[in-house]
Order: sequence, then C-alpha cells, then structure tokens
Amino acid sequence: MAAVASEVELVNISINGVALQVPKGELIVESVKRLGLEIPIFCYHPRMKPVGMCRMCLVEVGFPGPDGNIRKMPKPQAGCTLPASEGMAIFTDTEQIHRDRKGVLEFLLVNHPLDCPICDRGGECPLQNNTLFYGPSTSRFLELKRHLPKAFPLSKYVTLDLERCIQCGRCVRFTEEISGDSQLAFRFRGASMQPSTFELTDFESKFSGNVIEICPVGALTNREYRFRARPWDLETKPAICTVCSNGCNIWFDHRAGRMVRTNGRTNEAINEEWTCDRGKFGHEFYNDSNRVKHVMVRNGDALVESDWPTAYDAIRMAFAEGGNRVAALTGPSNSNEDLYLLKKLFQTRFNSNNFDSRWTTYLPTAEDDLQKKMGVSMVQNTIADFESMSKVFIFGSSLADELPILFLRVRKGWFNNGNKVVVASDKPTDADSFAAEVLRYRTGTESTLASGLLALAVEKGLAQVPDATRQSLSKYTAEHVSDETGVSVDALHRAVELVAGAGIITSHGIFNTSQPQDTVETLAGLAMTTNGSFNCYALGANDQGALDMGVVPFGGGMDTHSILQGCIDGTVKALWLVGCDPFELHPDYDLVEKALENVHFLVVMADHQNGAVPFASVLLPETAPAEQDGTFTNMERRVQRMPQVLAAKGSAKPAWRVFSELAIRIQPETPPFGPADCMKEIAESIPSYAVADYANLGGEGVLIR
Amino acid sequence: MSELIQVGAPNQRPKAPRADELNLRFSPTAISELEALKTHYPDLKSCVLPGLWIAQREYGGSLNGEAIAEVAHRLERSYAEVEGVATFYSMYNTHHDVGRHKIEVCTCLSCHVNGAYRIWDYLKSKLGVGNKETTPDGMFTLEEVECLDACDRAPLLQIGDQYVGPVTEADIDRILADLRSKSDSTVVQMADEIVKVHLRDGNK
Ligand code: SF4
Ligand code: FES
Ligand code: FES
Repeated sequence: MAAVASEVELVNISINGVALQVPKGELIVESVKRLGLEIPIFCYHPRMKPVGMCRMCLVEVGFPGPDGNIRKMPKPQAGCTLPASEGMAIFTDTEQIHRDRKGVLEFLLVNHPLDCPICDRGGECPLQNNTLFYGPSTSRFLELKRHLPKAFPLSKYVTLDLERCIQCGRCVRFTEEISGDSQLAFRFRGASMQPSTFELTDFESKFSGNVIEICPVGALTNREYRFRARPWDLETKPAICTVCSNGCNIWFDHRAGRMVRTNGRTNEAINEEWTCDRGKFGHEFYNDSNRVKHVMVRNGDALVESDWPTAYDAIRMAFAEGGNRVAALTGPSNSNEDLYLLKKLFQTRFNSNNFDSRWTTYLPTAEDDLQKKMGVSMVQNTIADFESMSKVFIFGSSLADELPILFLRVRKGWFNNGNKVVVASDKPTDADSFAAEVLRYRTGTESTLASGLLALAVEKGLAQVPDATRQSLSKYTAEHVSDETGVSVDALHRAVELVAGAGIITSHGIFNTSQPQDTVETLAGLAMTTNGSFNCYALGANDQGALDMGVVPFGGGMDTHSILQGCIDGTVKALWLVGCDPFELHPDYDLVEKALENVHFLVVMADHQNGAVPFASVLLPETAPAEQDGTFTNMERRVQRMPQVLAAKGSAKPAWRVFSELAIRIQPETPPFGPADCMKEIAESIPSYAVADYANLGGEGVLIR
Repeated sequence: MSELIQVGAPNQRPKAPRADELNLRFSPTAISELEALKTHYPDLKSCVLPGLWIAQREYGGSLNGEAIAEVAHRLERSYAEVEGVATFYSMYNTHHDVGRHKIEVCTCLSCHVNGAYRIWDYLKSKLGVGNKETTPDGMFTLEEVECLDACDRAPLLQIGDQYVGPVTEADIDRILADLRSKSDSTVVQMADEIVKVHLRDGNK
C-alpha cells in the first residue's frame, strides 16, 4: 500500500479472502477498515489501549497449513486485541461469526433494561445499532432483570445509569489513559461491577464530558442535555468552541433556535476528538434570558429601546473629535473580521490608534516585541508538535485550566512516547502528576528562576551565549536562585538537563506576574541557545487573532490601562467596549468602575448583559460567535471558520457589520458585503493571512506562520 | 462502604477528601514496612495489594474508605483505582465491618456433599447472624465462601489463616469457645502474617 511509509514492516494477510498488506502488529479491527469493512465493537476505542472486555468484535482466524489450505483456530478471537501477523486469514462474515455476535449481544442484553424510549442515547446508541444489525430479534431470558439505581448524579455534568452499563470500561480507561485523573474505576466484581468514583463522591474532572460521548450505551448521560431532545430532532452543525484559545472543533446541536448541546468533532491537529468541560458545557449562555437583543439609548437615568440609525448618529457625534479623545477595548471572542474592521474604523474614520485587546497587568509595548528584539516568534509550535517532542517545559501555567486541550496533548506525549515534562509553577497543577521534575517557586520569582536555569545551562555548556550575556547572568548562581525561589539546587541541576532543548510552553497569563518581560525574554533566549522552541500562548478565544489583526495601540495609541486612566482624568471622552466586560477582564476593579462612571460617552456592545451595561450611553446588541459567520485564530495561530449556526437574537448585528455601516455613514466607500469580503481585505493588508481564504478554511483550518 | 449505589441520592455528591484532609493512621512500623515493600516493585502501582494488607491490619481488620484513601495517598494512586482493587478481592474486608474473628464456611461442591450446610445452619443458629453479618458484641463474622482448595478436609472452615476440617457440630462449640477466650483478633493477625510474607519474599 502506497500510503504506508516504507520503513514500516508489512505482513500479508487476507480478510474474507481478499489479500492485503498491513503494518505488522496492526490490530485487526483497524485492518478491516482498509477494505471498507467494519467489525462491531463496544469496548475498543482507537485512541485508547485495547482491553478485549466486551467480545463484540469476534472474528474467525486461520493460518495456511502445510497443504496450503487455511486452518481455522477452533475458537473465535477478539479482533480488537489481535495483532496482524504474516499469513493470517481473517473471516468477519461467516455463519459462525454471525451466531457468535448474536450470542454476545443476547448476553449483554440479559441485564440491560431496554428503556430506549426514554433514553437520551436512543437513536445514536452503539448498543442499539449493533443489536439491530447483528443481534437476535428475541431474548430467551425470561427471568427478572437485575435492578440498579437509575439517574444517579455523579457530578454536575454527568448522570450515571447503572442498569444500562455494559461494563466495557471505556469511561474508566478514559480517566486513566487520556485525562489522567483516574477518577473512575470499576468497583466490586462480577454482576455487581459498577464504574464509579471513589465511594460515589463527586466526579471531579476537567474532562468528564468526554465519557458521555464515548460510553457506547446510555449509562453516562449529559445532565444538561438530559431529556431535552431526541437526537433525530436535532440539527447538527460543525462549529468552533470559543471558550478558550485552543479552538476545539465541536458539533453544535440546536433545535428551534436554541443551543441544545455540543459534542467533540474530530480535528487531528487540535482536539483529536476530545473537549474539555469548560468548553463542552460552556455554551449555555446562548439560551440565557439575559441576552442583549435590542439597541438601547440613554435617556436620563434609563436606557430606552431605540434603533440602529439613532445609535449610529449618537456615536458619530460623540466620536467626532477622534484622535486621543476616543478609544475602544475588545474582548476575547470577537472574530478576526470584527477586529479588523474595528481597527480600520478607528484609523480611517476617527484618526485614532486608541484600541487594545489585552487585559493583563503588564502590557508589552511595541519595543518589547520578541520578533524585533530577538528575531523569534512568540508562537513556534503547534499543539500536535508536543506529542513527539521529547522534552517539554511548562512554565508558570496551570495548563489543564488555561489550555486544556494542549494539556491533553502534552500528557499524551508522555503517556505514549515517554516524553519528559518539567513543570515550573507557584501552585500545584494537574501536570505535576506526570512531570519528571516539578519546580515549585515562590510567587514573584519567575524571572529569577528563568535566569537561573539559563545561567545553569550556560555553566553546564548546554547553551552558548555571548560574553555580555554571560556577564549579566553571573549573579544567578544556583545557590542564589535557590534561596530566592525556594527551588532546591538539586532540582535545578536535574531540571536544567531536561529544560535545555525543550519545547517551552507559557501563556499570556505570565504577563500578570512581576517582571514578565524579563521572564519571557529569558525563556525565549533559553530556547534559542539550546535549540529548543519557545511559545507564549494566548488565552482568550481570539486573543491571538486580535494581535494578528493589530488591535494593539502600537501606532502611537494608548493601551488598556492608559485608556481607562484617560477616562478618569477626562482625556478620553468616548469609549467603545466591544464584546468585553472590563469588570471581569481587568485586574483593577476600582479603576474600571471610576473609568466607566467618568467617561462622557460609553458604547457597550455586548451579546449578553454585563457589568458595564448600567454605565452605557448606548447599548448595542452584538451577535454571539455562533450567530455570525467569521474566523478565529487559535493559540497555535490556526485560522478556522466558525459558520453561522443560530439566527441573530432580536436586532443584534455582527460587530463587523456595525463597524462597516458606521464607517460608510461617516465617509462613503464600498463596504464588504460579508465576512468573506472582510477576509479578502485582511489577506491583502496582513501578508501572513494571505493563505486564509474562506474557500480553503475547511478541514483542519489554516496555519499562519 | 455502600455495596451498591443507593436510590434517591442527593443531587450533588460530596467531594472526596483532599490530601490534607486525610486522617492518616498508619503507625511508624506500618510506614517503614510500606517503604520497604515499595522497593520490591518497579512502580508504586504494584504495591497496592501489600499496601492494602498493611491497611487492613492497621485499621483493625476492615478496609473502610479512609483506609483505602490512606493507601492511595501513600502510593500516589487515585482513590478510585485503589478502591477498585480492594473491592475486587474477597479477602479484603471492604463490604462490611468484620468482627474480631471471621469464620468462613466453604459451601462449594465437596464440602456441600459432606454436610457443609448442616455446619452452616448450626453456626447461624449458634451465632444468630447470617451471611456477611457480625454478632452484636463484635466478636464473630460469618461468611459463606467458595472452594478453599482443601476438599480432602471437607467440610471445611477458615478462621484467620487457619483451616479447620473436617468439622462437626461438637467441634464448632469448642472452636467458638476457644476463639472467645482469645484476646487477639484472628483477622488482624492474618493480615499481619500476610504482610510478613510479603516482606520476607522480597528479601530472598
Ligand atoms: S458506563 Fe458506559 S463507558 Fe462506562 S463501563 Fe459502562 S457502558 Fe462502558
Ligand atoms: S471491542 Fe473487542 S472485545 Fe470489545
Ligand atoms: S469444596 Fe470446600 S474446600 Fe473445596
């Protein structure tokens, strides 16, 4: 087979009499797929180790005897645990196998309640499907079935129905092999075996939603989706999760204009097929009653319903002065098109560069740019890179919380390939459990630790640096660093070997620590001088896109903090909040409150009510991400398209349309007629985005470098 | 520990204890034994079974949730994983609090045909308890078990690490009297023996 790389050893096998070559050791359950066949399965999952627990995948196996005839083994074998070997003859379609499958299913159904009519899984249930295709039409079991509790709430998200469980162990293995929290195990044995948590305590996992999807029956169901719909009544659209910057691919299920549930959608480059709980259960806000649906304009103390033309006129007047008198702040989930047109509006119509998309304590300036300063990029690796990277260094980030899907990839690299992971953090993190070395430093000593590691790498000859740098590092002796940070000298020595040449992961969260720029530069330097790679990943859904679109005040504008300060001292007269709640995003609550109280004119553009709304002069309803077409750039700089799934609420408009409508009112031009037009314009003015055309954004998305 | 999930469970499950909320009860001896056992295996996972035996001894013969959590904590496993192991094996007393002495009656084939149920019924009426139940004074626990692999001595009992058989009703009266006068728990003693065996085997 041409598709198989040449260094893989191939063996000749036959499946139902068709000869083919497959890699030696490939599981037969996978080999049959090469012929477009399928073996029914329950417990086997391609991303987890096979266990052979359910026996659904039985096949007949034979080998050629001396006379050339195939001699079958007397008993059928489980295809999911059977590795291909030379001469193997597989039969998946014999009378014997059909009888065996009937038998297995009859046994599985002995204790299964067959309550499909009231089961959430009904209609998309592997047990139902396999029974339909391979099972017996009747049961010989007349006795009473085993009765166990139903609808047991295992956690906020997951309901367990023990009667339905067929004890395949997929959920248990998921928590062991993939998420790594080992929260589920089989308790008891034999007929009373039940998958559950320790003493039925809360199922505390950051990835619990996945077990709902991989359970081949309705034993684990989604507490939020429970009894909301039948699968065949749902409309399913591919979408992107906009809860964090990983940009997981999801299926967005909706019905009658309401978001019903989301499921993981396969994208091998990003989330494989997993989701995190924050994402999977983070789309409820689409149905919230506090969605902003109408244009409101302030009249004295109250906001009264109005219309778009009135709002546009009010905004035009208030922003007429332009320059440093006006400003805009954006939130994490605006699309690239929104952000680009916002920037264009401010630059070409208001003659202003006062816009910022960043909310961290420290805001890097134009001079801080690593590309300019050191010639390196802030994002060098993709998520998938970390699977094969033999050394990974996670610095100052609780990865499972900040970038959950990247966490799964790093863990997968460790679990499957034995990659060495070093974690440096001031708090315990989930990655500690598999880290080769954990450096627990005192909060605030990030840059000392980074310098200490670089100094040690230089001392050990692991890194080559110019003499000047060597000089400046001389005060960072291991002892000094250990005193300051609280990390032992031994640990530093052990860690430096693993850190040199590692793929370094940190996040924009680092800009909330002290001396972040030093830390970032030192880490980037460490990667550069030891042949490693450096990554400082964005955290908000489209924060990376905002940087790429240039929603930073590097053209001589004010940054987030100065804008808010400017609102207080009166230099900024009109402020536009685009899809952001500064109370949630900004570290200083009081500053935000004062700024919003004092600014003369405040435009709040939001998809749901937030803390800034009471201060608004004009409230504009904005469509939420799944209610408009647009592109998002994830933390590895992959541009993906989020197509419109739901209709806009009330009179809400996509932000890009608002910006372009306002721009035409101020000074006519040909507007972009849709997001695809916006993207064409983006591609023209931002060269790296030239590859991102709406025509080729399907599939895994487009990686920008 | 609950045998099966209870119906009518509350909507929010209690949380498992955090590491710092655990009430660790291993004695210094137990800790050093566990440390020694850890060195016998390539990874800590393999040490779960002997760890549970130490816990069964330290916690007075039964493994409750706290005991399981302590073993998991000391071996850096998840609680659920260790609970799964403990509840799989019938020699770990996870299903019920056992008394000072556990009398296990084999009712498998050979013993059955040699009158095991006569013995079983006699014990039940003498002690006034049924299968997997403990006398109110906390002295005896009765348990029906499968073949103990000593069919030549049917009908057979196991008490602690001792096999007794063939037994008659008269023997039982004597055995119960003996056990009553014993101050040590045969359940704990057996756990201790097994820990010793583990320790010795590793040093060979
Ligand atoms: S709950 Fe579902 S996934 Fe877990 S063992 Fe039972 S059938 Fe398998
Ligand atoms: S799929 Fe092979 S035994 Fe379950
Ligand atoms: S049947 Fe009782 S010991 Fe074998």
